[in-house]
Order: sequence, then structure tokens, then C-alpha cells
Amino acid sequence: MKVVGARIPRYDGVAHVTGRTTYVDDVRVPGTLWAKALRSPHHHAAITSMDTAKAEAMPGVHAVITWKDVPLLEYGHLSALGIPADEPLLAKDEVRYLGQPIALVAAETEELAAHAVDAIDIAYEERPALFDVRQAFDDESPKIHNWGNWYPHFEGEMDRRQIRKGDIDWAFENADLIVQGTYRPAAIEHAPIETQVCQVVPEPNGRLTIYSCTQALYFSLGVIAAHLQQPLNKFKIVGGTTGGGFGGKVDTATETMTCLLVLKANRPVKWRWTREEEFLCSSTRAPWHMELATAMTKDGWILGQKMLTLHDAGAYARFSPYGLTKHSFHHTGAYSIPNLHFDGYVVFTNRTPTTAMRGFGVTSVSFAVETHMSRVAKELGIDPVEIRMKNANRIGDTSPNGVAYTDPSTIDTLKAIADATGHELPADYRTMTNEPRDGELLPEHLVAQVGSTEGH
Amino acid sequence: MNLTVNGVEHHVDGGGLTPLLDVLRDELGITGPKAGCHQGGCGSCTVLVDGEPRRSCLMPAAYAEGTQITTVEGIGSPDDLSPVQQAFVHHYAAQCGFCTSGMMLAAHAYIAGGGTDDHEAIQEALGGHVCRCTGYSKIIDAVAAAARGDDFDLTTTAVGKYTTMATGGAA
Repeated sequence: MKVVGARIPRYDGVAHVTGRTTYVDDVRVPGTLWAKALRSPHHHAAITSMDTAKAEAMPGVHAVITWKDVPLLEYGHLSALGIPADEPLLAKDEVRYLGQPIALVAAETEELAAHAVDAIDIAYEERPALFDVRQAFDDESPKIHNWGNWYPHFEGEMDRRQIRKGDIDWAFENADLIVQGTYRPAAIEHAPIETQVCQVVPEPNGRLTIYSCTQALYFSLGVIAAHLQQPLNKFKIVGGTTGGGFGGKVDTATETMTCLLVLKANRPVKWRWTREEEFLCSSTRAPWHMELATAMTKDGWILGQKMLTLHDAGAYARFSPYGLTKHSFHHTGAYSIPNLHFDGYVVFTNRTPTTAMRGFGVTSVSFAVETHMSRVAKELGIDPVEIRMKNANRIGDTSPNGVAYTDPSTIDTLKAIADATGHELPADYRTMTNEPRDGELLPEHLVAQVGSTEGH
Repeated sequence: MNLTVNGVEHHVDGGGLTPLLDVLRDELGITGPKAGCHQGGCGSCTVLVDGEPRRSCLMPAAYAEGTQITTVEGIGSPDDLSPVQQAFVHHYAAQCGFCTSGMMLAAHAYIAGGGTDDHEAIQEALGGHVCRCTGYSKIIDAVAAAARGDDFDLTTTAVGKYTTMATGGAA
């Protein structure tokens, strides 16, 4: 093998260090117009009137688009999987987050485009806004979405992602101690150094060439074609060079709207977001609200766990149902828990829509589960590494959704952490392995937990 | 106004208050300096003005008239990389690459000014530069290696200090 294990130089290293890598904003196309967006100044409001006539009449303005210009207004990344969309490409009669795009202008300069945006007459009627996912989950909270305040389409018609495994009542009846905790990681902005940007060029053959910083080229191709109701071969996306993304460039943030401007103006158009727009209007990692209750024996076995997860989708679902599904499959973290009761909801708030970010849906679990495990260890007076090793996933143990693990690494990882931090472990923990459980590490309540690893 | 960039004099028609970054990128087509924030916060637009690192997004172009402006394109080419450029390649100090031009110009000025491989001094010199990908360790390793005058084998990549555990201590 020439590559595996070899320390090969990166293929684009020399281009990066000589300034020759061409990012989207480095693409120069003569005759390019500049796009600017009219964005919602409110977290939640009805749009009571809008008139773009003054902006359209300004010299140097070549196109103004609103929801009326979008052939298919609502379409989502998960639509191809049969999951209904809830987000209009451009807001129609209601805005649900600060910065939501309502109209776009293409003009000779960025400055002129900004002036034209200011010339759009628009009136709003503010509505109550919700920013806390737990508050949004209360029945009496104002409704901010036409679906209610949480997503109702899991498995077609479920309003939650639920997991039931084993006998949760037995676990809590037989517990020596029940440890509870609530964990609430905050939103995180990806903050790539390159802001959202795209350049779209109309070609003589009728196609559109789209220079995009997307992380998800084929997702975007499908989304653009669907909104515009055009065949896929109408679009050529040039991607692959991204100035940082971390999940934040999975949504199709700019391309579809810029294509609409190009079709209307019949000129190349570039749309690049300011740093302020990137912070205020681009998607973030979701805030989460996670409530855990764990049924423990006094010698440190986890008999069962109940969990309620509220995933803050922000104003629209986007990829959140997928993120919550991953979250539910991983909600026991690196540990084997035989009896489970999990309910997870994708809850809408008036925050910026949330999306993928490095370990989408799973980092929240790690934060909650690991913080909770340390709390459990403290309450039981058990060493925090030992309690983790005792309950660690082993080969053959099954995940919350019943998949048998073939290659878990919890024990090796914990041993490496203990070594690296000088944490003393008893002899029987130092020799522990990932091999299937037996002897004292396979108590009666875990026997049914072991599944077959055949077929993996 | 006339601007000298990477040793070449250019006549520029734009207004003197236009940010130097915009003149370089939009009028002269020199796209090495990047517009990460356009408000002096990220360092990706850094160029050298008479050898000193400057944020070209905050500097009116007229202020650079009569100076020697150096962008990343001016410190080396693919066939003739400067020591800092070689160090960034060998130490895998660029991931997405968007902050790299500015980082390297700050490093270039630091070493030209007699900077050593002292990590704290390097952090101070690069303190105004934001990288969102790498976690900075490899960048600091690269600058330290260039400051020491290391030779770089560009057919391979350096072993990072956090790589040893995964490779069983191969470093």
C-alpha cells in the first residue's frame, strides 16, 4: 500500500500557501451584478404589505425577486426522503426569525444593491417570539409555526422520535438510587472565515454555472432544481473549495436565490454575505434541552435510563429531524443500558434555523451523558473512570435501536485517558478488554442486552 | 494613484479611501488577501506594507501609496516556496486555507524581525489571526520550524505532537 499509513503531502497544500487556491469570491466574471437581501428585522412578524416598485425602478438595478418568483416556494433538503418541507425560500406572509430573507436585489454594485433593498416598502405586524426550547415546548406557549411548536412527521405521523427498550419499570423499581439531571448546551455559530458566497453565471447553452462554497454539492443541486422546477442538467455546480464549513455550509443558503436573480437579470450575479450576516442569519449548531433520569445499583450498574430531549430546530426543520434521529440512536453514549425510555422532539423557536455541525446530534448526547455519568459517580462515591469502564459498550452489546456493536472502543479509550492523566486503576480494570461480557461483568440484567454481531 | 505590489507598480483609478483590500482584489485581481470579516477582526486580509503586517481591509488605499506592498503571491511561488510556505505545507498548517495567506505574512514579518521558535512569542505575533479549522497547534509548529531554519521534505508530512498516541509512539 502506497498511501495507507504513509505521511503523504496534502494535494492542495502548495496552492493554499501561495495564495493560488481559487475560493468562490476569487472567481472573477466580467459583467457580474451584486446581490443583497432584504432580511426580516423581527424575530417573528406578519408581513402586512410589500411593494418593490421603487427598488425595481432604480437605475442600475437589474432584478428584484420575492416569493412570487419562486416556482416551488417550499422545499427542504429532506424532501427527497418524503419528509414534508416547511421553509419558504423567500418569506411570503410571515417571518419567523431575525434575518430571514424576504426579497433579493441584483444591481451593478453591492452598494447600489443595498440602497435598492432599503427602497423596498414593507410593513410588519410583530408577533410574540420564543427563544427558549423548553418554553416553546409548553402547551400554553404561543404558536409560532403552522405545524404547532414541534415537528409532527417522524415515521410519517409521529410527533416525536421514541425508543422503548427492555423493561423500564423494572429498572426503576429495582434501583438503589435514581440520579436526575438536566443539560442544556447552547447554540454555536460555525463562524467559518469564508462567509456564505456564491457566483452564478448564465451560459450560452441555457445552463447555469454555479460557483458554490457548499459542503453538500449534490444536496444543493437537488434543492436548486426543485425550487426552480428545472431538470438537474440545467445546472453545473463548481464546488469543492470551501473556506471553512464545519456543517454550516450543508444548507443551500445562497445558490437558489442567486440563480433566480440570474434568470431574471440574464447577467452573472454574485452574493456574498457580510460577517454580520454570517453571525446573525446563517444557521448554527442547535441548542438542546436534555433531561436524564438514571436507575442505578449501589455498586455502579446502570439498570435503566429515561431521557427527554428537546432539539431546538430554530424556525424551520431543515436537517433537524435527521439530527434528532441520530441523537436518539446514540442517546446512551458509550455505555450499555438495557432498559430505555427515550422521547425526543424537534421543537421550533424563533431562533435562526439550526443545522449540522461536527457530530450532528451526537455531541449533545456526549455532553449530557458524560456530565451525568460524573454526577452519578459522585453521588454513588464510585471512581468516575471505573463506573464508565464497568458499563462500557462491549462487542455484542446492543445500541438503543438494537444494533449489535462490532468494534466498540470505550474501554481502550478510557484506559488511554487513565494512562495519560495518571489515574490509578485497580488490576481487574487495567486488564479489561472490549471482548464480550462474561463472569461478574455479565450480571443477570445484562444477559438479554447481548445481541448477535453476525452480518455486520 | 500608484501602488507597488510585489515589486510591480500599478496605476489605480479608484478613490483613495477605498480599502486597500478591495483595490487589491477587485481592481488588481490579486486575490491572495481574503475578506473574512472586512472589519479588522480576523486577519485574513493581512498584507505587508514596507515589511509590516497590516490589515488591508482597514487601510485606505491612499495610505499605501509610495510603499512596498507584499501579498502572499509575493513571498514565493509554487516552484520557489519561501521557508514559511514550506513549513506550512510540511507541518499541515493549512486546512481550508482561507486564513493561511494572512497567517503566513504575519509569520514572515515575525521571522524577518528576528523572531525565534518560542511558542509564546509566536502566539503573540499571530494573535490577531483567526483560524477556525486547525486549533492553531500545527500553525505554531510550522512557524517555529521556519524560525529555526529547519529543512523541509515536501514529499512527506511532519508528525504532529498529538499523533504519537495513535501511531504507538512512532514519532
